[in-house]
Amino acid sequence: MKKLILLVFCMCLAVVVTACSNEQTSSENANEVSMWVHTSNETAEGKAMQSLIDQFNEENEDGYTAKIEFIPRSGSGGGYEDKINAALTTDSLPDVLTLDGPNTAAYAEAGMIAPIGDYISNKDDLLPSIIQQGTYNDQLYAVGYSESGVGIFYNKQMLEEAGIDLATLPTVEEPWNWNEFEDLSETLVKEYNQPAIDMGLKDQSEWLMYAFTPFLWSQGGNIVSEDGTKATGVFNDENSVKTMSFIQGLVEKGYTTKTPVEKGFQTGKYPMMMTGSWTIAEMNSSYPDIEYGVMPYPTSPETNELVSPSGSWQYAMSATTDKEEAAGALIDFLTTTEALTKISLENSVLPAATSVIEEIREEVSPQMQVLINQNAKSAHARPVLPQYPKVSRTFQETISDLTYFEENQDIQKLLDDKASQIDKALQ
Amino acid sequence: MKKFNSSMNLPAYLFLSPALVLMGLFLIIPALMAIYYAFTDYYLLTPDNKQFVGLANFIEIFNDPIFLESLKNIVLFVVCVIPIQIGAALGLALLINKNRKGNIFFKIAYFAPVVLSLVVISVLWLYLLNPSEGLINVLLEKVGIDPQPFLSSPKQALYTIVFVSAWQGAGYQMLIFLAGLQNIPGSVYEASKIDGANKWQNFIHITLPLLRPTTLLIMITTFIAAFKLIIQPMVMTQGGPMNSTMTPVYYIYQSGFSDRLIGYSSAMTVVFGVVIGLITIVQNKLSKGDD
Repeated sequence: MKKLILLVFCMCLAVVVTACSNEQTSSENANEVSMWVHTSNETAEGKAMQSLIDQFNEENEDGYTAKIEFIPRSGSGGGYEDKINAALTTDSLPDVLTLDGPNTAAYAEAGMIAPIGDYISNKDDLLPSIIQQGTYNDQLYAVGYSESGVGIFYNKQMLEEAGIDLATLPTVEEPWNWNEFEDLSETLVKEYNQPAIDMGLKDQSEWLMYAFTPFLWSQGGNIVSEDGTKATGVFNDENSVKTMSFIQGLVEKGYTTKTPVEKGFQTGKYPMMMTGSWTIAEMNSSYPDIEYGVMPYPTSPETNELVSPSGSWQYAMSATTDKEEAAGALIDFLTTTEALTKISLENSVLPAATSVIEEIREEVSPQMQVLINQNAKSAHARPVLPQYPKVSRTFQETISDLTYFEENQDIQKLLDDKASQIDKALQ
Repeated sequence: MKKFNSSMNLPAYLFLSPALVLMGLFLIIPALMAIYYAFTDYYLLTPDNKQFVGLANFIEIFNDPIFLESLKNIVLFVVCVIPIQIGAALGLALLINKNRKGNIFFKIAYFAPVVLSLVVISVLWLYLLNPSEGLINVLLEKVGIDPQPFLSSPKQALYTIVFVSAWQGAGYQMLIFLAGLQNIPGSVYEASKIDGANKWQNFIHITLPLLRPTTLLIMITTFIAAFKLIIQPMVMTQGGPMNSTMTPVYYIYQSGFSDRLIGYSSAMTVVFGVVIGLITIVQNKLSKGDD
């Protein structure tokens, strides 16, 4: 009897093991393209993608079809990327996949994705930041299908009560510089006796890289040299020191805080918040009573050049696919004005192409329009480097360390340290 | 001793096989692979293109300030958490060892944090410890203590994690202590009562010595578990502020899966494994020498 149980158990195990091993991603049908996306089919983004794929399947004139597979990622980006990494070792990548902007260089450098510039008919229409983000070694490897942006959100009522004339506030056409930003913060701190703005300094996360690099770029600085080989001499130069002193000053003078109250802006506690397009959706659905506006990024007083964050998920073609034509046709279809417009509107994200901006300008809120205009004028993609994760984390640590102003008064020394850490990663 | 015949060996091995297969698949083979990768430049995205690099990874490890800092942090963590956690576990076990009404309730209450996921615990404490609106600081203010930064201070963050970890883990060791306590025969206490020993003398001269084997077991298991600290800093501080809560396992995870340097992180795993192995051996030797 025992032996029988054991035998049954072993057989079950054998079945389970064999069932796991055989997974075919690429379809047998020579005209059917397989595609992986990082979102769930329950989200607005996923639904828009599904309906675009359905449309492609119906309309494609060469008889190409596509099959989409949703692999939702977890909060920290796991899940989806784990699956990509696993597919690499078993050589089972799909024909088309989505990837986050900062992954472009690593994926291209590793030979995972193929250049797709020749397949994209809408290339000239795409925003410069989208091209910047998807280009590695002068070739276009990936196309972002939406954009993101960050602005200074402000509570209209709180600013008015502090005696500020809303008509004098900066716009994308006439931006403001760091000094004016500090002056406004000073006024608000005096009026409300608490930090004026939540800049998201609480967590050490990609946000710090995404939202704080534009300050450095506006000053004329950078993290790594043009050729992407060195940070020493760049990240610890005069421009970096000035930018980092400005950021540290914001914390030191109490204009912002590294320990903000949860939802402080949304609940009317802080008059300002540095945040992105996603907060617009949140304000509409959960905090309709707060009247708010959006201001552009403050610029360096030395250059007065407006630079703002950008970045998004993109489409790319796997380098191992043997269906280049079909995969190229799919990506081309997904990046037409019509498809990009659909995804921007349904997912309420910023548009990725100039023509889409024209299409949706009338349909979006005034706050969203500020971010759209800012994006078109000044969006800057994050650095396209294979070693991006380590570079980004070191930058995040720099910002996070700076906020401990008592421990890090010597900014030059801090930047020297961090630059040499980045150098090590770039080797 | 009776010699086993081969007809009895076969079923024995068959019964062992599921455990052996699983251990081999998920423990032994990965461990061997990690040792192999440690000597290569394995990059997560180019699995087919691994080059043998000799000791390069190991040389880099000992020049990596973050890894060295993480070792320092984890030693400090272990040194702090072990006495607190084991002390608390013993105290709780003594409290609920007596037959009182409502003991079951306290037993469950003390054990509850062990059952909860560490992520949930970490998020919970994140709210409680929030510097501006967390419950702990509100209470501190009520008794006239200034609000503390806790997790956002490089000086306090690690100790805060020590406290949270001890609070979370103590319930488990408490149960083992409780089993140990209940194994002490009542006759020993009766004898000491006749000799006129007070409660404190009972505890020092009877309870503690008889709990020795239990304590040793708990020491070793807690020790190894404490070295593997990752979830609390990952959720609560991301290794910050200023790397003050970076732990080796967390750094290994970051290097391997964020930076995609599997070779380098495998080398760290090997170094870290050797360190823990050595400490465990020393610990074993010491405890045996005492007996």
